[in-house]
Amino acid sequence: MNGTTRRQFLKTSAVTSTGLATWLALDHAPVLAQKRELTFLSWNHFVPAADDELRRQAEVFGKQANCAVRVDTMAHLQMPAKVAAEAQSQAGHDMYRSAGADPFLYEQLHVNLDDVVDKLGKQYGGWYPFAAEMNLTKSGWKGVPWFWVSFPGTYNQAHFKKAGFENPPKTWDELLRMGKVLKKQGNPVGIPISHCSDAHSTYWSVSWSFGAKVLEADGKTPAIHSDKTAQVLEWYKELYLEAMEPEVLSWDDAGNNRFILSGKGSWIHNPVSPYNAALKEKMPIADDINHHNSPAGPAGAHSAPPILGIAVWKFSKNVELAKEFIQFLFRKENYDAWIVASNAFNHPPVRHLSDHPIWARNPKFAMLPKEAEFGHPRGWPAKPSDAVQRIDDNYVMADMVAKVVNGMPPKRAMEWAHDQVARAIKGQLKVG
Amino acid sequence: MAISQRALEATGLPRAPGRVARLREWWEQEHVFGYGLIVPALVLLTCLVAYPFGMAIYFSLSDYWVGSPGPFVGLANFREILGNDVFRQTVQNSFVFTSIALTLKTVLGVWLAVLLARDVRFKRLLRGAVLLPWVIPTALSTLGWWWMFDSLYSVINWTAIRLGLMSAPGPNWLGQSHYAMAAVIVVNTWRGLPFFAITVLAGLMSIPREFYEAAEVDGATSRQRFWHVTLPLLKPVLAVVVLFSTIFTFSDFNIVQVLTRGGPVNTTHLFATLAYQIGLQGGNLGQGAAISLFLFPMLALVVFLQLRYIRKE
Repeated sequence: MNGTTRRQFLKTSAVTSTGLATWLALDHAPVLAQKRELTFLSWNHFVPAADDELRRQAEVFGKQANCAVRVDTMAHLQMPAKVAAEAQSQAGHDMYRSAGADPFLYEQLHVNLDDVVDKLGKQYGGWYPFAAEMNLTKSGWKGVPWFWVSFPGTYNQAHFKKAGFENPPKTWDELLRMGKVLKKQGNPVGIPISHCSDAHSTYWSVSWSFGAKVLEADGKTPAIHSDKTAQVLEWYKELYLEAMEPEVLSWDDAGNNRFILSGKGSWIHNPVSPYNAALKEKMPIADDINHHNSPAGPAGAHSAPPILGIAVWKFSKNVELAKEFIQFLFRKENYDAWIVASNAFNHPPVRHLSDHPIWARNPKFAMLPKEAEFGHPRGWPAKPSDAVQRIDDNYVMADMVAKVVNGMPPKRAMEWAHDQVARAIKGQLKVG
Repeated sequence: MAISQRALEATGLPRAPGRVARLREWWEQEHVFGYGLIVPALVLLTCLVAYPFGMAIYFSLSDYWVGSPGPFVGLANFREILGNDVFRQTVQNSFVFTSIALTLKTVLGVWLAVLLARDVRFKRLLRGAVLLPWVIPTALSTLGWWWMFDSLYSVINWTAIRLGLMSAPGPNWLGQSHYAMAAVIVVNTWRGLPFFAITVLAGLMSIPREFYEAAEVDGATSRQRFWHVTLPLLKPVLAVVVLFSTIFTFSDFNIVQVLTRGGPVNTTHLFATLAYQIGLQGGNLGQGAAISLFLFPMLALVVFLQLRYIRKE
């Protein structure tokens, strides 16, 4: 208090508090300090260069729109909790990277983006149906499909060649047959049967290919207890016992990446991230890694690619700015640069951006865009919903498969899974 | 105060007038001052404990979803989780996990404390080093363990195989239920041990040396001294540590989340991880809250009994 009389101090603090109170009451900063800030919560991209490019574009947009754009990224497994916290507290970022059934889970809390989706769709030759379905709720578009991630077969050509196979498997049964030989050779195949999202990406794909479903199309009737699912389980069991090793029971989402990069594994079902990592780290194994379209089954080929969107919270004060930013990200030059930065990891959900030369140019990527032809949102033929999200979050199918490979009869495992699916449906969100 | 007032009057000096004096007088009354000191703690407890706890009870009794409040549903959430096989498995896991980890921590903790109490060189350094697992952020240290338990690169398996103690490829630590449970128990014990050791050490230090000298004169062996002098006198400290640790262990989250995320097949799920999965990832706050509150009545009883026991002692 040196040099300040009590009167002066009181005067100053009174003025300051009045100013602060006015600021709080007006709910925005005084004109002098005011510069709009748009905040975007995204994930730590599996190819970090894509995040660098995103931040660069955000900065360019900020300069153009005379605002600041802050892009925060965090681990993908932590996103659901963070998003839930923002939804609950009605505060946080203006927009975020939505995944799974977020647009359905937070239908009432997301801004309707019909206008943006409509404009971009027309501009770029339409949205892929599977990407659209993940964002189109009963009350409109609650997210803009941002990108999807192809989920091809990733294999080590050298191991396959050594085992006498010129080509990778076209069907799941072929994978089983080849896997048995490859395991004997010391190079097993690997599909996670554990609490990780890759385990389910593959399960959906395999089960659809065998004609099995988890839910009926109405989204309200469990359909997991069926002869088709029993076939899927038998297939998994045989693959586990004769072509894989028990380590698949403990994998996280990076487990299969490590497995193929270690040189031990011969085949995994995964996005192109291991190959990109091998290239970046200049690992010699990059030459041996190649990709092929997700295998088919008696009911054709199907894929459950991760589909990511951008959602804008209703509590945001920058809704229009957020919409502008989304359209800015979708400008051809920006989107193309972002695809390149991700080294073909990010696939556009609109048709006309999908013909980027990065895929055609590299024979190891050339088949990837084709995956869009047989992609579905999880839960298909049911529409995405919070129930589907819950089935996924609770790892119901991964656990069902794990029970069977550990010796439980498929019938009992299916009964268990049926009960879990029924619970997920019963607890359905009652809004919207 | 009254005396000083009279003293002032007696000296004939004018009484200190004004609000400040009156305020001070008011403040210095015992009941005002006492409560005044408690208020900050009370505010903190209300905001950080009572409010969330009240909210959790409210959530658990309603069909509450993230961002969308639902109607009051009574005990429906509790009935629902009780009917769920995964929850019943979680209850079993929690008891197995807590009882084994707690026993290990108690036995090893007392052992370690007795060792640390000895006069050795670098005593201070050793005592500091023992605290490390407790000091390092759990998520970080558990990542280290996760790598040691990795199916492909496990340093534990590698070493044991090289030493001929295991046949290749060794146990799949995080992929088979018993091994996975063993793994999370080991990490929990490793992390919780310093808390036990240091607290028990403090208890040991407070035992007067005369008791040991008297016991020695009576010809007690070191084992007898431990059982008949050390342990009985440590009991109050041990009771408090065990009480705290029971609660911490039951409510562990980080270790399981980092190592197994509840897998394989839910055999390592604890209340906190299952509540996170259902309440936050799945958005069903009502059920999530019901899961995390499930143990509250039982833990409250444990706390009550133990505190009563401690008071008696």
